[in-house]
Amino acid sequence: MLLPALFLLIGLLLGFMTNLSIPEEYSNYLSIAVLAALDTLFGGIRAQLDSKFDQQVFISGFFFNVSLAALLAFLGVQLGIDLYLAAIFAFGVRLFQNLAIIRRLLLDKYYLFKKTKKNNDISTKIN
Amino acid sequence: MKNVFTKHKLMIGLVCLLIGFMVATLFNTNKQPDSRDTRDTWEIRTALQEEQKVQQNLYQEIAEAEKTLIEYQEQTEHQQIISLKESIQELREKAGLTEIVGKGMIITIEPIFLNEELQEYPSINAELLQLFINELNASGANEIAIGNQRIINISPIRDVNGKVYVNNSSIGNLPTDIHIITKDIEKFRDYIEVSEINDYFALENVTISIREQEKVVLPKYDGAINLQEVHVGDIPEVGES
Repeated sequence: MLLPALFLLIGLLLGFMTNLSIPEEYSNYLSIAVLAALDTLFGGIRAQLDSKFDQQVFISGFFFNVSLAALLAFLGVQLGIDLYLAAIFAFGVRLFQNLAIIRRLLLDKYYLFKKTKKNNDISTKIN
Repeated sequence: MKNVFTKHKLMIGLVCLLIGFMVATLFNTNKQPDSRDTRDTWEIRTALQEEQKVQQNLYQEIAEAEKTLIEYQEQTEHQQIISLKESIQELREKAGLTEIVGKGMIITIEPIFLNEELQEYPSINAELLQLFINELNASGANEIAIGNQRIINISPIRDVNGKVYVNNSSIGNLPTDIHIITKDIEKFRDYIEVSEINDYFALENVTISIREQEKVVLPKYDGAINLQEVHVGDIPEVGES
């Protein structure tokens, strides 16, 4: 759990230190890609908490979602339709759903943890 | 420790690294600095001075207006009416609704013929005349009349069917007289004589001649001033800057 966070931090630092910026007209694609990446990340966390995590699904989902989102945005620009809005909507909704599920799972775990602790306490007292 | 860097965790870490990098890049892209103020001290000082001048003028105007207001308040009704009439007269003069006589000059715009056989009769266009009026104003003309048309703040100068119209009436063919009243005739004359406008006139085969006159009579503007679209602005509350 600590390692991904560490890598995330390294990535952020790397980005800030290189001071890299892309042309204004491509920033739309990047923002969509970032949204897709965040969606995948939270999906991965959720799957981990559900104990359903599959690395292949995670990796492929990440790259596929990111490129598909960018492609959709590109297509939208070419056709004159704001297709990137569709991507933002879809990813946004999923992001919040995932976050809600993660929250619930964490709460469940917390309650379970508390309960077992209590039980342990009681059992130790009895003993 | 050996188990920390399994392939599984490394891949996830890599993805996280990528995400971090993308977020940072996006952040950098969206946080491009706004256009910087690159003026040096001298330029800023000049700008400041200009603003101060504007401010001073405004203060002066306010002081004058307040003086008039106090005058109104202190006078009896009869005097009030007299001073109101005076104000109206003053404003009419300012607006160009009265005939005005003063020291000034007459500028004649006349054609020059370089080759009489091949050249058509020269004419000027509205744009050139506008430029000339601007030049006259810039060099310190107080009042201007083209032909017998007084130039006021809203006087239009237009090309209509190949003729130049001022105040909705044609100024006719060249030569045309422009009557000007100015305070400093010498300065005005020098200014016009070295002005670029002479070159522009020469391009149209036109030249200007200036003659000073002790008494120049400018006609009044006799059209109606359309104030339909003029509204009283919002009067700011006291204390508002």
